[in-house]
Amino acid sequence: MTGPGRVAVLAENTFREAVRDKLLYNLLLFAALMIASSIVLAKLHIGADERIYRDVGLSAIAFFGVLIAIFVGINLVYREISLKTVYSMLAKPVHRWEFLCGKYLGLLALLGLEIALMSGFFLGVLWFKDSAITSGMFWAIGLIFLELTLVTAIAIFFSSFTTPYLAGMFTVALWIIGHLLADMRAFGLQDGSEAIRPITEALYWTLPNLDRLDIKGEAANGDPIALARVGFAALYATLYSSALLTAAVLLFRRRDFR
Amino acid sequence: MSVIRARDLRKTFRTGFLMRRAEAVRGVDLDVEPGEIFGFIGPNGAGKTTTIKMLTGLILPSGGEAWINDVPVPHPDSRRGLGFLPEGTYFHEYLTGAEFLDFHARLLGVTRQQRREAIPRLLERVGIPHAADLRIRRYSKGMRQRVGLAQALIGEPDLLILDEPMSGLDPIGRKDVRELILSLRDDGKTIFFTSHILADAEMICDQVAIILDGRISHQGYMEELLGQEVEGVDLVVEGIDEPLYERLAQAARRAVVQGGRFLFEMQDEAQAEKALDQIRASGGRVRSLMPRRKSLEDLLVQGVEQERAS
Repeated sequence: MTGPGRVAVLAENTFREAVRDKLLYNLLLFAALMIASSIVLAKLHIGADERIYRDVGLSAIAFFGVLIAIFVGINLVYREISLKTVYSMLAKPVHRWEFLCGKYLGLLALLGLEIALMSGFFLGVLWFKDSAITSGMFWAIGLIFLELTLVTAIAIFFSSFTTPYLAGMFTVALWIIGHLLADMRAFGLQDGSEAIRPITEALYWTLPNLDRLDIKGEAANGDPIALARVGFAALYATLYSSALLTAAVLLFRRRDFR
Repeated sequence: MSVIRARDLRKTFRTGFLMRRAEAVRGVDLDVEPGEIFGFIGPNGAGKTTTIKMLTGLILPSGGEAWINDVPVPHPDSRRGLGFLPEGTYFHEYLTGAEFLDFHARLLGVTRQQRREAIPRLLERVGIPHAADLRIRRYSKGMRQRVGLAQALIGEPDLLILDEPMSGLDPIGRKDVRELILSLRDDGKTIFFTSHILADAEMICDQVAIILDGRISHQGYMEELLGQEVEGVDLVVEGIDEPLYERLAQAARRAVVQGGRFLFEMQDEAQAEKALDQIRASGGRVRSLMPRRKSLEDLLVQGVEQERAS
């Protein structure tokens, strides 16, 4: 069997493990409730119905997607090690990079399914409320998925060398900072001292800038979305995720399973 | 060509906050020949599992080298044709037995047709054909050990590395595993297994290595290590009177009274013969006569005592 074949087998098993976890269904239920709550929220803001349906719906898809990416992602590798199930897999002619990539792709398949289900429900709400469905919404959902691929790569990177608790803290911190980098840079440029400015610049250019992948606001407003922006965001997320996975593999290759 | 070869294999762990060095394996040499059952025995914490994990690529050696089928460890190709049963039987609990075997078979590139044929056959061979569609979560400890063995046998490996395969099994289960190991050797496979149940190892091994505190203390074929010399004779008798018991007890290494029976540990066969003559003459009955040979337990105890003394 080839490397990609083994990666596919590992990804399929990861997907199967995740879909047999009841937590996923609870999160999907909460996501559906949040999307449906937009109908009630819209009644409180007369004249802004459409924007609220889209805003709440897209935000729910992103929020619950990130929740699943982080909490499943940080446990993905750790659980295989702590439950010692990794032993019988890695004692076969399986490369460690194949193991990590299989886990990563299995979780992405799960996130893809989860986004498809939530998006289906979201579009159903829009259809039910006779609200327009624009192409911008599909681009926004696509970029939410790309953000999740990046967040999953961050979670797997940290979980390849530390505990789920620390990996969770680091991943959540990076996710929050990733959405504040533009503001942090603006602060450094406008108000920061000479000592702070290089730091904010360095953080801006090195940490994952998740704002690049966020077009929920434009999609909710019905603004036109440039394809070049979507293409650049996709390239950015792919390259950044690849770099993180490569680093994770390098760390994981040296790891002893005691 | 040795199936497993190790030269000066070492592992040092860093433990605790101060990263203190702890030497788990201190220069192990091994040569496991094709088609033999090789027992790797020693007390808990001696370095058995660490050595096995180095051979299977789960732990990177700190020093020395090892080869499986002439491929250097830990290259993934060294694990082609290798079946491994880890200690503790920790498997994916959300899978059924059949799904679990299917997953591992697919990792090895076993075709769908071969899997369809092999999985029921393997479950049958390890004695749990009824558990194919039961989730592993619901398996007993013995069933887990058996499905783990089936997993190690997937893909028809030539070499099996089994870490404590009899652990957690009841006497019937232990007997089944012993017979399975012997039948695998008859099929031409090489079996390298660890155990701290010495009686099991003594019954089935061709070659044995005893590891103590990270070093091999004894290694060789069973007849070389244990020899054929009788080191004593255990005699159980009934129906003898007090004066005869006293005389025999004086000649014996050890004498024990158990209910109406008397157990004597005689030093050699000549002394046992002499005792038998006296027992028969007095009208006593011999219930059992068992020559005692050197055992793995004797070797292990001897090794531990030498280790302590040094």
